[in-house]
Amino acid sequence: MLTTIERIAFIVLALTSAGFAIHGIKTIVDSVRKGRSAPELKNIPASLIKAGIMVLFQQTIFKARKILSTIHLGLFFGLITYAFVNLVDILEGFIPGFDLVYGGKHLTFPFLPSGIINAFNLIADVMSGALLFSITVFLVRRFIVKDKRLTYRENVLLNPKVKAGGQNKDSLVVGVFVILHVAARLLGQAFRLTDGADPFMPIASFLNGIFGASQTGVHVAWWISLCWVLYILPYITRSKHTHFTVGPINLGLAKQNPRGQLDPAVPAGEKIDPGAKFIHDLSWKRVLDSYACVQCNRCQDVCPANFAEGASLSPSALEVNKRYLIKEATFGSHPERLLLPLTETVISPEAVWACTTCHACVSVCPVGNEPMADIIDIRRRMIVDGAELDSGVQNALQSLATNGNWMSKGKRLRGRWAKEMEIPVKNATEEPVENLWFVGDTASFDERVVPNTKMVARIFQQAGFDFGIMYQNESNAGNDVRRVGEEGLFEQLVEQNIAAMGKAQFKQIVTTDPHSFNTLKNEYPQFGGKFDVKHYTSVLVKLFEEGKLTVKNPLSGYKVTFHDPCYLGRYNGGFTAPRKLLELMGVEFNEMPRNCENSFCCGAGGGQIWMGKVAPGERPAENRIKEALTTFEKNPSDKKQLFIVTCPKDMIMYSDAVKTTGNEGKIEVRDLIQLIAEAVGLEAPIISLETEAVAS
Amino acid sequence: MNIVVAIKHIPSIADDLPVKGNNVDFDSVDFVLNEFDEQSIEQAVLVKEAVGGTVTVVGVDMIGELDAVLHLALAKGADKAVKITGDDPAADSHQQAKWLAEAIKGMSADIVFAGVQASNDLDGQIGPMIAAHLDMPYIGGVSSVEVAGDSAMVNKEFAGGVGAKYSVSLPMVVGVQAASKPPRYAPISKVRQVAQTATIEKIAPSGEAGAGLTFKKMAPPVVTGHAEMFTGSSKEVAAKIVELLKSKGLA
Amino acid sequence: MSNDIFVITEHMDEKFSDVSFEMVGKAKELASALGGQAVAVALGSGLSANGFASDSTIYVDGANLAQFNPEAYGKVIEALVKEKSPRLVMFGWTATGMDLAAWLSARLGKPCAAYVKNIGADLTMTCQIYGGKMSADVSPDGDMAIAAVLAGSFPVEAGQGSTAATQIESPVALDGLKIKFVEAIKPAAGDVDITAQTKLVSIGRGIGSKDNVELAEELAKKLGATVSSSRPVVDAGWMPRTRQVGKSGLKVKPKLYLMLGISGAPEHLEGMKGAELIIAINTDKKAPIFNVAHYGSTADLFEVAEAMLELL
Ligand SMILES: Cc1cc2nc3c(=O)[nH]c(=O)nc-3n(C[C@H](O)[C@H](O)[C@H](O)COP(=O)(O)OP(=O)(O)OC[C@H]3O[C@@H](n4cnc5c(N)ncnc54)[C@H](O)[C@@H]3O)c2cc1C
Ligand SMILES: Cc1cc2nc3c(=O)[nH]c(=O)nc-3n(C[C@H](O)[C@H](O)[C@H](O)COP(=O)(O)OP(=O)(O)OC[C@H]3O[C@@H](n4cnc5c(N)ncnc54)[C@H](O)[C@@H]3O)c2cc1C
Ligand code: SF4
Ligand code: SF4
Repeated sequence: MLTTIERIAFIVLALTSAGFAIHGIKTIVDSVRKGRSAPELKNIPASLIKAGIMVLFQQTIFKARKILSTIHLGLFFGLITYAFVNLVDILEGFIPGFDLVYGGKHLTFPFLPSGIINAFNLIADVMSGALLFSITVFLVRRFIVKDKRLTYRENVLLNPKVKAGGQNKDSLVVGVFVILHVAARLLGQAFRLTDGADPFMPIASFLNGIFGASQTGVHVAWWISLCWVLYILPYITRSKHTHFTVGPINLGLAKQNPRGQLDPAVPAGEKIDPGAKFIHDLSWKRVLDSYACVQCNRCQDVCPANFAEGASLSPSALEVNKRYLIKEATFGSHPERLLLPLTETVISPEAVWACTTCHACVSVCPVGNEPMADIIDIRRRMIVDGAELDSGVQNALQSLATNGNWMSKGKRLRGRWAKEMEIPVKNATEEPVENLWFVGDTASFDERVVPNTKMVARIFQQAGFDFGIMYQNESNAGNDVRRVGEEGLFEQLVEQNIAAMGKAQFKQIVTTDPHSFNTLKNEYPQFGGKFDVKHYTSVLVKLFEEGKLTVKNPLSGYKVTFHDPCYLGRYNGGFTAPRKLLELMGVEFNEMPRNCENSFCCGAGGGQIWMGKVAPGERPAENRIKEALTTFEKNPSDKKQLFIVTCPKDMIMYSDAVKTTGNEGKIEVRDLIQLIAEAVGLEAPIISLETEAVAS
Repeated sequence: MNIVVAIKHIPSIADDLPVKGNNVDFDSVDFVLNEFDEQSIEQAVLVKEAVGGTVTVVGVDMIGELDAVLHLALAKGADKAVKITGDDPAADSHQQAKWLAEAIKGMSADIVFAGVQASNDLDGQIGPMIAAHLDMPYIGGVSSVEVAGDSAMVNKEFAGGVGAKYSVSLPMVVGVQAASKPPRYAPISKVRQVAQTATIEKIAPSGEAGAGLTFKKMAPPVVTGHAEMFTGSSKEVAAKIVELLKSKGLA
Repeated sequence: MSNDIFVITEHMDEKFSDVSFEMVGKAKELASALGGQAVAVALGSGLSANGFASDSTIYVDGANLAQFNPEAYGKVIEALVKEKSPRLVMFGWTATGMDLAAWLSARLGKPCAAYVKNIGADLTMTCQIYGGKMSADVSPDGDMAIAAVLAGSFPVEAGQGSTAATQIESPVALDGLKIKFVEAIKPAAGDVDITAQTKLVSIGRGIGSKDNVELAEELAKKLGATVSSSRPVVDAGWMPRTRQVGKSGLKVKPKLYLMLGISGAPEHLEGMKGAELIIAINTDKKAPIFNVAHYGSTADLFEVAEAMLELL
């Protein structure tokens, strides 16, 4: 089809385009490789293939925003189709007589049966339409409807280019590309239809009806269509649309360690500074994240720290800022900006300290990004650099360092609740026990939670479950200390606990606190503490199954909903045991819209419960209580409405939120154990079942 | 500005103090940093932050465990750590002050900080003695220090909130009672990092000085009167206290 | 060499402090045992120092001595001591004496004992060290010694008298001083005056954190008392300085002094020994406070305070 001059011109342009694209790719690779090392990945090809399949079925993107995700299918499959279409178009240009319209009836050398050719034509034609449709929807959403979810809150630190609408420009370029490219290609096909309509090319035939056939048209359309491709390929390496290719790769290289195990503060074999101050202090995977980021803001949607109007934290802004920072340094003229602290370029210090480490952003991300990991690394470095800490956090850390608990209580007092029990509680460091109960700070000291702690002990005793605690030898497990970034203190606590456990004889560890559960189970092994760790909900399920506990008083008078604690649910998949227990209790169960994997954090984790300063506006826990009430409203009855938790911190957060939202009397927060105690009917010596556990 | 902090590693009084012969049984006690030294390190770092310079912390290594203390000081913002390899747990304040003064002589110090006192200062505190050896002015009981040019403005406390402000031309020795801000938290991450990277300069002790005191006896104080102790559970103790107060018309 | 006992007295607002009289009284006793004289030494400007029971009183008058200045005071005292060679020089272990005693010891190369609680006729000194947990008997070598004496160790009355002071000029030139007195700092006004309270609930480091102070405040409220504290609590910023009891804080004499988590360091005792009823709650059964308190318990302060709140 093409003339010799056209061919030479195209080859020259294609080589130039390839040159720019390769330069782009090399720049990306170089930048990623400048990151520090990440934990070793096993069997990368298999993970990549798995990721490829997930991407092909668009599994990760359907985790949220179902409608838009469906429309995104048009873009996704359309562009994949177009990769083939463009190849075929080049062949059409370069091989004389290579013409696929009408099932290939003009082909001088028919190499394929016309059925296949017709199928290809049909798919190309329909997908062109799908592409045009979906891109239009996305452009309308961004530029006309101005979907709020694509914007950031006022207090979020943004790269000046982002603030000036850099992302919109990017989207516009690609949007215009898709429209012009696809339209040109469609028109080109229409111009080829010299013999009238082709039933396998309905859209092209329709256009042919309007514009007719034209040999010049074919040439012009071909050039427009393919020049766009030559322009866009290098452009993509410099825009947010790297996610086309890096996204799936990133997904394939995603973390293989358990979710609940943070990467080491100092990467193996690296220089000794923990965490990250500058962008290339982050591991290479965190750098790659920024190229993979779709900039879709799904993570921002689910972030409890982005929830209030004045919020300063947005996990997506973090990724976007990283990306723009690198881009300015590599493709732009500001390499010096790489030497600016991340707290000035990608995330404000205030935002760094707002993260609850709830993992929602990581779980929801369609391309396997871990904004939370960046935040923790930044905290880690801020801590060693002596950044000024919130006074509450400083007090908590000071107390943890000296007393082993964050509540400034004497070590000796840790087992005080147990000494008040009528049936003695064994000291596991003095006599062997089957089960070592790791109680945790809140359950040991907080007077609002201690009654529940005693109740767990009573139920264990009633079920003949042999257990002991470590009394003053237990220290805070360190989950939140690690997430606040105080790795050294975390290590100290781990060492203390492992030493104490070394003195004890037990078969497995049981915890009531999901935070302790997470770190004991997933992180202690990194430090040589390999134990079998169970959350008490799964232990109780087993006790019921074995008949050691039985429901004597079914609780059909209660209407309950359940809040999945981040560190039991999203982190460790402990969704079924608590629900199973609720089912056994015979309560009326109402599931909140945000449940299990999508549970909404109470706002206490990652050290937030220690913070002296609280961000203004509605708090996540308050929002959650409202969600529970709305859920109950769908199913009205006069049953007593209960908000069930299984985490001591939740008890505190939600009891408080019920009060601050003025919903006392409408909904009551209870620990699962209180329901169980009531349902199984505690035998003497009885302890008060009054709900004094609720904050007074 | 060359800022020097002279510290003391002293027996901890948190637990029982065993006696051996006429002195504390140094083999069976923990050693800790003198509590007022914690304040003086903080004050030194605050001065550095205000006017620039380097903070050098120097102490006598009494039992070979001073490194941990020096690492903590470095983590709090000191720049250099020096230990005098005394290795004599019974070295008294006179001896320590002499060694410290000899060490500090080579540091061209502009200001030397010391804790106002230590619980084992039987023969007086090291601060004023270092000042005497170095022929520098000394003020103790200090609760804030501001350096401007070659002089310092210090607040000294007397009693009942009464104090006085002095201007002192440097170099001087300051005995810190309390830093102008509560001591900062030293992140253990930092302490551990410092422990791996920092070099602690070792100096051999030089110069001799003795307290000139002959120990006759050391024992827990003979108690002339002891409180009448309420025993039982906390609730019972509370009840007894309330009863006592009511009987005296105090509640 | 003489067998004289020098007492370096202290004063504020033209009034000599109790510790000065306490030492003079003791000095007289020692001097008569040793066959020397008890000499009170006062430094100041335009001061009358005629109120001691000493055998003689030296009053050094000089403009530079109007206010306490460790450098000026040190120079004068050093010169006097060198000239008169007393057997013993007594300082108070106070905000002023603490600046001078050890300094003088190092200057002269003479032994010094601090935290002195008692002095025997043979100059054996009993010192209360390790925060009051240990008592050491030491005797100074050589022919001159320095003692820094804890306030409240001896009776005040024995030192009160009417010996006329001999006023002298400073034996050394006091120009070119490196330390200059700038101004006095007055106590912050506005808060309650704890010295005027009849009941105090006093908290120490055992209270653990600023948040827990609230518990003490609740208890105080129920008792009609005011909260006071030890020094570390103030230094940590948990209580205002106006509430500090002790050597560098205020001296209090309430009817009730209920102590929660205070160890009973000598510096604290100085401020509250005179209280009529002292009750101490401290988990350390060896805490020195139990040697001073009238009633005590080793229960946990939080538990006791909470239980009391319920009972009141
Ligand atoms: C500007 C200034 C200048 C000074 N100049 C000199 C000086 O020239 N020479 C000198 O020797 N000292 C001087 N001092 C220090 C002062 O006189 C005492 O040495 C110091 O107050 C002793 O404090 P202390 O904690 O050691 O108390 P102590 O020596 O233990 O005793 C103080 C005595 O005063 C009484 N007292 C103190 N405060 C109160 C109160 N609020 N209510 C009731 N009774 C109280 C007590 O009964 C006690 O007996 C000066 C102080 C200032 C602020
Ligand atoms: C020049 C100078 C002046 C000073 N002036 C003063 C002064 O004016 N006032 C003053 O107070 N100090 C003063 N000090 C400080 C003094 O030396 C001591 O450091 C201080 O008195 C100790 O305070 P504390 O008893 O609160 O703390 P600590 O000595 O640490 O004692 C805390 C006590 O609480 C107990 N405890 C802990 N937890 C509990 C619990 N849960 N229940 C019950 N008990 C518990 C512990 O067993 C311990 O005995 C001064 C020091 C100097 C050098
Ligand atoms: S971990 Fe949770 S709080 Fe932190 S950035 Fe992610 S979603 Fe937000
Ligand atoms: S990090 Fe993931 S979820 Fe967040 S904007 Fe980027 S691609 Fe979307």
